[in-house]
Amino acid sequence: MKRTLIVGGGSGGTILANSLDRHEFEITMLSSSFGHLFQPALLYVAFSHARARFVRDERSLLARHVNLLHDEVTSINLKNKTVATKSGVLFPYDYLVVATGMHTDTSQIPGLSETNAEFGDYHSSLAKAERLSYHLDGFRGGTIAIGQSSPIIKCPPSPLEGVLLTDQLLRKRGLREISRLIYFTPYPRPYSAEPMNEVVEPLLEERGIEVMTFFDVERIDPANKTIFSIEGDKIEYDLPIIIPPFVGANITYEPSDAVDEDHFVIADKSTLRIKGAEDAFVVGDASNLPTSKAGVGAHLQAKVVAQLLSGHPATFDGRTSCPFDTGDGRGTFVIGSYDAPVIKARPTRIKHLMKTAFQRIYWISLRGTLNPVFDVYFKLTAPKKAAAASD
Amino acid sequence: MNQTSGRTLVDSRGSSCPGPITDLAIAYRRSKVGDVIELWATDPGVKADVNAWAAKTGNEIVSVDEAGGKITVIIRITKR
Repeated sequence: MKRTLIVGGGSGGTILANSLDRHEFEITMLSSSFGHLFQPALLYVAFSHARARFVRDERSLLARHVNLLHDEVTSINLKNKTVATKSGVLFPYDYLVVATGMHTDTSQIPGLSETNAEFGDYHSSLAKAERLSYHLDGFRGGTIAIGQSSPIIKCPPSPLEGVLLTDQLLRKRGLREISRLIYFTPYPRPYSAEPMNEVVEPLLEERGIEVMTFFDVERIDPANKTIFSIEGDKIEYDLPIIIPPFVGANITYEPSDAVDEDHFVIADKSTLRIKGAEDAFVVGDASNLPTSKAGVGAHLQAKVVAQLLSGHPATFDGRTSCPFDTGDGRGTFVIGSYDAPVIKARPTRIKHLMKTAFQRIYWISLRGTLNPVFDVYFKLTAPKKAAAASD
Repeated sequence: MNQTSGRTLVDSRGSSCPGPITDLAIAYRRSKVGDVIELWATDPGVKADVNAWAAKTGNEIVSVDEAGGKITVIIRITKR
């Protein structure tokens, strides 16, 4: 039996654990929390009062043969092939898969911690999303400034989803005429990838949303309700919706150059092997792969690692397929890969329905039982190297 | 990202839009006036993005070279 240690119990770790053959692998998952959050729901908790069961017990999502342990990993030694935990246990492994995700870090930007504590956000936690929802409920007109405060982001469409759903909310409540909506971004255009920007920019214009590009947040002055950018601009707000910077898990690695400055694990972008290690892999948001940080990546990467561990050749091609709610019951997907630029895909009602449907089947998808359906979907929507319009 | 005394190498090869400009923005956040950032990319869109970025931020593009599919942009940080 191959002793396989999975660190982290998000979607990537869970799918991988459920994909491995119980006759071949002795699987242990170490997770600092047994609460498994359906992360995309935070958007709807904040902007649409969604209140469903978005957290489930990790144990209930895993196959019976997976040994789930509640412990916090403090260090990973890739040379000795051991993992140490906060409780003082040292776990040896034959194979290691890091699936520790990433989390928000408000300490990187002066003024953000107190602003975030007051107004919340829709990327950190359910409690923070509910806090933001509370402030949106109390908003009676004025200026809402919304955007990402640093270039590293979970779910690239989510900043724009936030501004478009805010616009929808204000229209619904009759407040749009007395409100300014300012979208800021560190990128040269509203959506970072040009083909999708051609879809998004007209939408923002049509809805009267102001855009400030090259706005990389340097500091926030909560007393004067102002956000300042490194590039020298500023935005005054009544309600700030600021997506904090993200960092990888605070785990010490040996060798230390297995992670970058923000604690993201450095890995081969195709085989997902951690730098300098033959038997250690990374899946999901924890890595510094040049692809979008999103659930679909974690899913596909988990499948690749499961294949590799089982001795079958497999590579990750950087595929993304991020659902993008553009408001008013329409949505689209951001689809691309390492070799194929993001395609231009216009919003439709059907795509929005697909996003809604996925929320209902998420928990089942972690079991791997829907893999044949996803395989067909990914095949049908595969991006071509020469970008072409797709609706 | 590889940093040695005031010179940062940002290797964005193989990363398509917006990878290179994302990596540049991260390097800029960590830089100080006088630093040099050397950006490597393969995505042709990087040239227009870096020009727009330099125009906005007031930093200096020292050179842009293209050889064998690799684009090398040297940027001097003159404004923070």
